[in-house]
Amino acid sequence: MKKLIRLNINEKDYEIAVKPNQTLADVIRYEIGLTGTKKGCEVGECGSCTVILDGKPVNSCLVLAVQADGKNILTIEGLETEQGLHPIQKAFIEKGAVQCGFCTSGMILSAKSLLERNPDADEKEIREAISGNLCRCTGYQKIVEAIASVKDQRSVS
Amino acid sequence: MLLPEFEFHEPTTVSEACEIMGRLREKARPLAGGTDLIVNMKRKLILPDCVVSLAKIEDLQRIVRENGFLKIGACVTAAEIAASDDVEKAFGALAQGARVLGSPLVRNLATIAGNVVSGRPAADLPPALMVYGARAVLAKTSGERAVDLNDFFKGPGKTVMEPDEILTKILLEVPKGHCGGSYIKLGVRQTLEISLVNVAAFIALEKQDGPIREARVVLGSVGPTPIRATSAEELLRGQSPSDALFARAAKAAAADAKPIDDFRGSAEYRRDMVDVLAKRALTQALDRATSR
Repeated sequence: MKKLIRLNINEKDYEIAVKPNQTLADVIRYEIGLTGTKKGCEVGECGSCTVILDGKPVNSCLVLAVQADGKNILTIEGLETEQGLHPIQKAFIEKGAVQCGFCTSGMILSAKSLLERNPDADEKEIREAISGNLCRCTGYQKIVEAIASVKDQRSVS
Repeated sequence: MLLPEFEFHEPTTVSEACEIMGRLREKARPLAGGTDLIVNMKRKLILPDCVVSLAKIEDLQRIVRENGFLKIGACVTAAEIAASDDVEKAFGALAQGARVLGSPLVRNLATIAGNVVSGRPAADLPPALMVYGARAVLAKTSGERAVDLNDFFKGPGKTVMEPDEILTKILLEVPKGHCGGSYIKLGVRQTLEISLVNVAAFIALEKQDGPIREARVVLGSVGPTPIRATSAEELLRGQSPSDALFARAAKAAAADAKPIDDFRGSAEYRRDMVDVLAKRALTQALDRATSR
C-alpha cells in the first residue's frame, strides 16, 4: 500500500505517494527526477548515492523513502545557486578532480559536510571524510587536492 | 536491486512495537539503521512480510546517563556514539569501535542495536561492549529482560533473542577508579572493512600504580562469536602490570582464539595477530587506567 510522504529536497517541498519498498535513492531519481544522485553498488559500499539527510551524509540506497518522511534532503542539484556553482564544485573542475564523474556527486556532498564541520580539515581528515565514497577511476589525489583548495581559499579570504 | 514487498509499521512506543512483533513474530523484522537489514532484504536473504521501524520511538534515540549507568538507546548511531563525551570519558574502547565501523556514511545510519543483533563474529561494537560487561535489554509484550552480552551470541548471525523480542537499549555500568579500555581493529584497509581480527581490552587497577583488580579481553573475528580470552584474563588478575605480563597474557589470548582459514586471512595469521593486538590493546588500556 502506498503511503503519502513529505520530503524537502533542496529547499523545495514535495508530497509524494511511495511504496514501502522504494528506497530514498530510487524516489529521488525516478519519482523526483533528480538523477545527480547515482546508484552504484546499492548496498552502502560505494557512496555514489550520497545525499545529506537532516544535515548528515548518508547512503540513500539504504534508507527507505518512508523513513525520510518529513526530513530535509540536500542532493548535488541543491548546491548551485544564482551566484553559480558551489566553491567545492568549482574546485573539482579547476583541479581536474572529475574523470568519469560517477562518484563526483557523493564526493562533493561528503566534502561539503566535512568543510562545514571542520573548515580547516587537513589531508588526513579529508581522506577520512571521503572514505565511504569510492572512485573507481582512482582519481583520489586530485579529489583531495580540490577539497583542500577550497579550504585554502577560505583561509585566505 | 529491488527490495521485496513488505508492510511498513512505524510504532511510536516500545509497547506498540512489541505488540506487532508479538503478533507477527518471524514474519516481522525491527528496522533501526537499515545498513544490515536493507542489504539482506535486497539480497533476498531475509524476506519479512512486515518491517517495524523503531525510528519514531523517542526513548530509543538517546544516550542517557543515570544512577551510575549509561543507557544507549537502540537507534543511537555509531556516529553519535563516536561523538558522545559520556562514551569517550568512561568507555574509550566503545568510542574506538564506533569510529571504525563501516564508513562515515554508514556510521550516520548504523545503530548500536543493529551491530549487536546481527550477531556477526567480526562486528566492531560487541567486543568493546563485552569488556565493559554491557547488557542488552530485550523487550516483548510480557515484559523485558537484561542479557549480559557475554551470554548473548550463539553463532554467526545467531543470538539468544526470541522472534518477538526487540533490543531496546544497551546498559553500561560506568566503571569506577583507575580503569581504562581499548579496541583495536585489523583489516587490510581502513574503511568499509570487515575485521580480520579485532581485540578489546579492559583493565581496572587497585590503585593508580597498583596491581590489576580486573581484566577483560575479548577477541572478535576469530570464532563463531566474539570470544572472552579467559585464560589471558586469569593470568592478568591480581598481578602488577608490566610489558612482560602483557606479552604472556597476549600469548594466552592467542591460544584462546579459534580462528578459521578463509579468503580474508589464514587461521595462523589471525592467531599471530591476536597476540600482537592483545598486547597493544592491554598497553593502551593501562595507559588510560593510570591517567584516570
